[in-house]
Amino acid sequence: MLKVTSLSKAYGKKKVLDHISFSVGPGEIIGLVGENGAGKSTLLNILATLQKPTSGSIHLQEKSYQKEKPSIRKSIGYVPQDIAIWEEFTVEENMIFFEKLAWKKRGIEALRQLCLDMALDKWKEPVKMLSGGMKRKLNLAISLIHDPTLLLLDEPTVGIDLKSRKEIGVYLRKLASSEEKMILYTSHDMDEIIHLCDRIICIGDDPFYKEILIDSGKEILTF
Amino acid sequence: MMAILYTRLIHWKKQIISLLFWLLLPILATLAIVYGTSLIQQDSKIPVGIVTGDDSEIANALYESIRATQLIRVIDVTEAEARRLVESHELDSAFVIGEGYGQDVENGRRNRLITSYLSNLSFAYAPVSQMIISLVQQDTGHSKAAHTVINLSNHTTEQWTWDEIVAKTIEIQQEEDLLRTTFTFANTVGMENENTVSLWNTWGLWALFSILSTLLLFDWGVKEKRAEILPRFAFIRYTYQHYLLLNVCLYTLLFFIFDLIAVVVFHTFLSESISLSLIGAILAFRMLINMGAFIFTCLFQNVYLYYSTAFLLALITAVISGAIIPIDGVTNRFPWVALFNPVQPFLEMEFISPWHIVCFVIIAIWYVKGGKSNA
Repeated sequence: MLKVTSLSKAYGKKKVLDHISFSVGPGEIIGLVGENGAGKSTLLNILATLQKPTSGSIHLQEKSYQKEKPSIRKSIGYVPQDIAIWEEFTVEENMIFFEKLAWKKRGIEALRQLCLDMALDKWKEPVKMLSGGMKRKLNLAISLIHDPTLLLLDEPTVGIDLKSRKEIGVYLRKLASSEEKMILYTSHDMDEIIHLCDRIICIGDDPFYKEILIDSGKEILTF
Repeated sequence: MMAILYTRLIHWKKQIISLLFWLLLPILATLAIVYGTSLIQQDSKIPVGIVTGDDSEIANALYESIRATQLIRVIDVTEAEARRLVESHELDSAFVIGEGYGQDVENGRRNRLITSYLSNLSFAYAPVSQMIISLVQQDTGHSKAAHTVINLSNHTTEQWTWDEIVAKTIEIQQEEDLLRTTFTFANTVGMENENTVSLWNTWGLWALFSILSTLLLFDWGVKEKRAEILPRFAFIRYTYQHYLLLNVCLYTLLFFIFDLIAVVVFHTFLSESISLSLIGAILAFRMLINMGAFIFTCLFQNVYLYYSTAFLLALITAVISGAIIPIDGVTNRFPWVALFNPVQPFLEMEFISPWHIVCFVIIAIWYVKGGKSNA
């Protein structure tokens, strides 16, 4: 369980996040929406321990972010918006590279299977030859090497074709349901958010997103 | 460490040719330059004809001394050939060690011992003749000393022969050489072939090429500093700083292996001596330039700017080092320049220089500061 209580973040006098509270249970997928600059990425970065909140508390599986950060990081999988892979390596080399540095060891076959599970089958192909969708899948696969319980994705499907987008969506749903992973992700694609997420957190003052989501039938939290 | 080695091997596999090229450059370039210049030196030796009309031990010793002289190429000729070759300018000059030279020296005769031939184009006649005269004077000096001692010993009980006295004077002369210019590392045995005169200081040259190759191979520090990759280090076993430092250690190990290869190659092909102090100095130098190169990479984001600055830095080091051909002018005029020269402590066999401490402190601060921002 991820529990966020009264979380705020300010840059100087500018408040970006103001007393946000929510929780995420195992197997849940939460969508984060809002206009540019609303604070989606800031919230994701705070949940990923990459930024500190101004106030509030966060607990992951009863562990405090403030006191047990190194241990918490082992349970987090973070998929950055930019594709964070070695372009000159093959898919295999990228997976092995990050597996060697990861907390949890996996065999080559397990790494390969991880890629195949999300329809990334170009194991020996240099990354620079891959399509944008394949690169995004690899970006996600690397973040899953250490088998995290909380997965944070910052616009994981931006700029890719519909087929790859669907494949990633199917895979995330499978991760949540069969492996009980908690997933939070940001996107500007409302259809994707509505289709994939169990609940939606709407950040910012712009009513545009709330109006679109109002008929989705999903539980919406607004901050 | 094995995990870091594995990940580094993946990088090295991708750039194996350029990696080997830059690792071997200091060895191959030093060999090529030292060999190349020695070949040019060989071709530019002055051709001098020697006619040996005497077969005595003293005459043979004089002939060998002339032959052993650098910058002179001795050609054995008869007196008639000598005249012809000097006339046709194929020889710069010719010298005749006439019959009875040895006997004349032993008898204490001191003039007209050598005959010379020269032409109007014997440009090197003056220094060559002076050199041969000095060798003859050595012989006559030994003889004179022997005669003097023999005369003196007539008044004492101890009896010395002429040969014993000459041998003793040669021994004293060798012990008290006025001038010895061979470069040696402090506290080590000198080079095996001490008569060799080279324009290049092998280790100085190697050090300069090593600085260049180290700077260029440390480009990974700039290339791999990718903003999108950095967040991943929060979720792996190593902090970014730790990862980089372990890679610096791996590169130091790799470079040092090639440094040891350089020691063996230079010993084999250039007769450079091997000693533990030399290896220690190389290790200290290697650690210094690797730490320096790493700090240098931290200052850059753009790899092309890094390359051009690295070349410039290597060039400046070459100029201020004076390790190639000593350029005392710069350091005499601006003595503080020598403080910035990383090659100098290495050539002086200093294991720890102030620069080691400076680099170590900078890296320690960077590590602690980076670790805090990462935590």
